[in-house]
Amino acid sequence: MSDEPPIADGIHHQLDPRVISLHRLIGLIVCVIVAVAALWGLLGATLAALVNDGPAAWVFLLGAPIWFAVTGLLAWHARRWPEISYRHASYRVDDTAIEIRRGVFWRNVINVPRSRVQHLDVSQGPFERRYGLGTLIIHTAGTDHAQVQLGGLDHARALRIREHLLPTGRTSSDAV
Amino acid sequence: MTPSERRLHPVSILFSLWKSLKAFAVPGLFLLLGVRSSGAARGPFGFLPANWDAWAMWFLIPITAIAVVRYLTFRMRYEGAELVIRSGLLFRNERHIPYDRIQNINAIRSVFHRLLGMTDVQIETASGQRAEATISVVPLAVLDEMRRRVFGARAEAVGSSVQGSDPLSLGVSRGQTPDQDTDSVAPQSSITEQAILRIPVRELALLSVIQNKGLLPIAAGMGLLWEFGVLEGAADTLGLERFFSGGALRQLAEAFMNRALESWQVTGALATMLGALVLVQTLSFVWVVARLHGFVLTRAGEDLRTDYGLLTRVATTIPLRRIQTLTIQQGLLQRLTGRASVRVETAGGGSVPTGGMSVRFGEGSDSDGGDRRWLAPIVRETDAPALAHSVLPEFDARELAWNPLHPRAFRRAVKPAQLLSLIPFPIAVALREPWVLIAFPVVLGWVAYSTHKRIAHAAWAETDEIVAFRSGWIRQRVTAVRTAKIQAVTLLESPFDRRALMRRVRVDTAGASERSDRVDIPYLSREVADDLYRRLTARAASTEFRW
Repeated sequence: MSDEPPIADGIHHQLDPRVISLHRLIGLIVCVIVAVAALWGLLGATLAALVNDGPAAWVFLLGAPIWFAVTGLLAWHARRWPEISYRHASYRVDDTAIEIRRGVFWRNVINVPRSRVQHLDVSQGPFERRYGLGTLIIHTAGTDHAQVQLGGLDHARALRIREHLLPTGRTSSDAV
Repeated sequence: MTPSERRLHPVSILFSLWKSLKAFAVPGLFLLLGVRSSGAARGPFGFLPANWDAWAMWFLIPITAIAVVRYLTFRMRYEGAELVIRSGLLFRNERHIPYDRIQNINAIRSVFHRLLGMTDVQIETASGQRAEATISVVPLAVLDEMRRRVFGARAEAVGSSVQGSDPLSLGVSRGQTPDQDTDSVAPQSSITEQAILRIPVRELALLSVIQNKGLLPIAAGMGLLWEFGVLEGAADTLGLERFFSGGALRQLAEAFMNRALESWQVTGALATMLGALVLVQTLSFVWVVARLHGFVLTRAGEDLRTDYGLLTRVATTIPLRRIQTLTIQQGLLQRLTGRASVRVETAGGGSVPTGGMSVRFGEGSDSDGGDRRWLAPIVRETDAPALAHSVLPEFDARELAWNPLHPRAFRRAVKPAQLLSLIPFPIAVALREPWVLIAFPVVLGWVAYSTHKRIAHAAWAETDEIVAFRSGWIRQRVTAVRTAKIQAVTLLESPFDRRALMRRVRVDTAGASERSDRVDIPYLSREVADDLYRRLTARAASTEFRW
């Protein structure tokens, strides 16, 4: 560990670039599920119209472009959005606090002082594991931010940040 | 049983039986009514067995068994630094609560408790919405011992002794509510107890009027319902169809215009309405007095104590250093009468219930929050800052230098508000109700005016120890947060903010259940917001958080 650069460097770091691939994968899965479900619905509606002597052709001709539009939008979103949101996300750890920046349209910067950290988790879902990523979850005593999540970190790095932020030398005065 | 182990008082069996019976009271009433209305031969509602009352007795057996088991299995003991509570027969449960995690200890005593010298004890930690443990029915001495042990350990840290004196036997409260049974607990040590606020009955009457501002819309709504004949059926059954059939007011007015109605009839109708209002107001007054009679706020060492209630007596203890936020609030009626209310939030859980019904002396349902504690449900507005100052020494609303929002805040705020308010109009046109458009300028004007007022009143202030935010227009609030209690600071920027070069700073604290009671400062210029954010985060990081 000693040869690695310190965690608390006070510099804004971008997330791990692999998070783009991860979010593209997740986006793709969502896109496929929605597209299949919508296609199922469209074909079902057309069939029902056929059976009931309804305007089957109209249903299909109106439904198909909508299906293409929705699927195309989702596919574009799955492809492009991870990159865009990656550009707008960063974090900074120093001796006193961790600061997380996020958001493309609605931007926010959240700062959690180290002394307010109650406990920390590093979680790794199945897809994250595939890319060697982890999510750092910071628990505070706050209300809105009782849980602050920072996803898209290299798993080993997430563990190191956790070590750094862990409440140290608790005195009796700051007990919960 | 180890010597320090405590049990419930045997009378707790009776109390829990009583509680269960109360729960059955409403269905029971229905049953009784059912007996009356249907043929006796076939039993109530015609489908229950004829000897249903005998069958109902069977319910008592499991209830009693549960109560007895609860009594037999409950154990509580004090270990070095924690309270251990064991309960349960099949599912054993042992709960360890360290003393320094205990936020508040509340005592809740109904009339029966007080007759028997008993109390319910609620132990609150920061664990969330509900009380960590509720100990039903123990002698007062147990509460006394618990306060001594829990707060005694804590008092050593702050260097003053808060143990010993029972808040239920405060000298100040005795004059107003004779509490014979508290004499059984002898005050053991005298520490500086200072009554900060006492609320006389006259003020409670005023409070009931202030809380009743919800009465007017209800009365108006009822009136409308009468007008449109919705309640006609109800009126018919009450034999009131003469006066109160659909469109009663309209008919009344018409008749009056045509001189077809004697003036005594008009007077009678108006008197009836007035009488109803007076009746509701009286009921509300009785209710407020029952809950808050003899309200005393006391500072005892490092603890705040509130003590109130006519029948069910509630005593709460809030350690001063556990106050997360403090809010002074003034609604319209409060401003007109020169009153305000002061409340604090702690991280401790739950509302303070009084044997079955929860006590929330809020301002009507919209502002009721479980976690909030009123230090003063009503206080003169001139005294409110001093009261807040004595509770939160860092916070003096009179001395703060208030900073206004961004000069262009009104322009930034009014556009989205007006856009939102316009949504109904296209819908109305689409529904072919174009007459709604008459309201168009009124709505726009009102939104602009109220936004202007809100922006003009909003302001923020900071010192090294606190950050405060003033907001609202009709209902005005000042909320203060100690920097040592800040959990996280957020800097936000919406696309609209970005166009206007503005940002918003939001402070998160523990127990901030009520959104309106937060420090959440919108419409700041970028530079001001960034600086404030940096200062707050630096100050928060340099302080140790103590619950």
